[in-house]
Amino acid sequence: MLERPIESYESVVAWEGGLRGQWGGDPFAEDPAKLQTLAAFCDFIAKDPDALVAFCFLRKRATGERFASKQRRDELMPKLKEFEEAAGRGVEARRRRSHVVSFLSHNGVLIY
Amino acid sequence: MEFTEVIGGRRSIRFFDPDRPVEREKVQKILEAMRLGSCAMNAHWLRAVVVYRDQLPADTFEKLKLPVAGVLMELAPVHIYCYGDTSVIAKDHGGNPKQLIDIGALAPSHGWTYRFVDEFVWPQLLEPLTTSPNYPAAMAFDDGGCATLGLLMAFNEGLGACWSAFNTEAAKEAFGIPDDWIPHYLMNLGYPLESREAGGQRPRPPFEKLYFEGHVSKPFRRDEAVVEELKQRKMIQAPAPLPGRQQELRDLARRLGLPE
Repeated sequence: MLERPIESYESVVAWEGGLRGQWGGDPFAEDPAKLQTLAAFCDFIAKDPDALVAFCFLRKRATGERFASKQRRDELMPKLKEFEEAAGRGVEARRRRSHVVSFLSHNGVLIY
Repeated sequence: MEFTEVIGGRRSIRFFDPDRPVEREKVQKILEAMRLGSCAMNAHWLRAVVVYRDQLPADTFEKLKLPVAGVLMELAPVHIYCYGDTSVIAKDHGGNPKQLIDIGALAPSHGWTYRFVDEFVWPQLLEPLTTSPNYPAAMAFDDGGCATLGLLMAFNEGLGACWSAFNTEAAKEAFGIPDDWIPHYLMNLGYPLESREAGGQRPRPPFEKLYFEGHVSKPFRRDEAVVEELKQRKMIQAPAPLPGRQQELRDLARRLGLPE
């Protein structure tokens, strides 16, 4: 369970901003499933949205430079697949996965 | 379709109908076009492995995907993996130029004789080329030209295509790629779900920044009459973004269940 409203997390604000910039409108009001799905995924992996994004990045030991971690992506992908498959197969299940992927993409994390 | 329209109508198509198979004969036409490309010494380094997405074992397919190409590969029913075979010149030992002499493509008028090949072309040009650090770049230039003919053929056949990178180690293992083949790119191929315009012709750097006449300080002057003619012949088309493109992208994403 999240400790505060999901819309208040910085990464969710970034997601909303990204969606609004790309498509216009009010993305969460128009499609409440986006936030509901992200909340469900956060429950599933026991991380809040900001922690989920932070999990996908590491810092280089030598320089401290932040980078998107392949290792972390590889850890996350089976979880995402499991989450998707819990909804069955087909476009609806894929959409469930896609909401999470969209959230990550708009936070600079590419996962597929 | 007119040649000029094929060039002008090509786009990197990223939304394919995932359930519509590509006819094998169309794939063959693409390969036939690649085979007719121009190559130094008629070497033909380009190799292509055609793979049908739905025939791949799921775990193999997962390994082949890279993050930036994953969705593309999932949507495209056919994947054509392109490589350059670096062993060609060494195996040929000057045979290709001699064949070109035999068929009348090369002639003594330009200095081409068997003796010239044996005394100069092979020992001083071709053999050193195979160990030169420039060899892969030279090969890739010709391979790109051949592959582009195949790409244009795809559009001529009503298909869409987009090049992407792929996991070369996984492909090597899955398809039995020899050690001396250098991976190029993968052609993702299928029937487009995007409109024919796919949002309009993509931006390009200004013509005069790319091409020169006689000296790099002198840009090749672009004649607007020629531009107008090419517009009439549909080679130069309306530039992106066309109205409605964002809606088209969103509709495609929703139809396919892709991220927004």
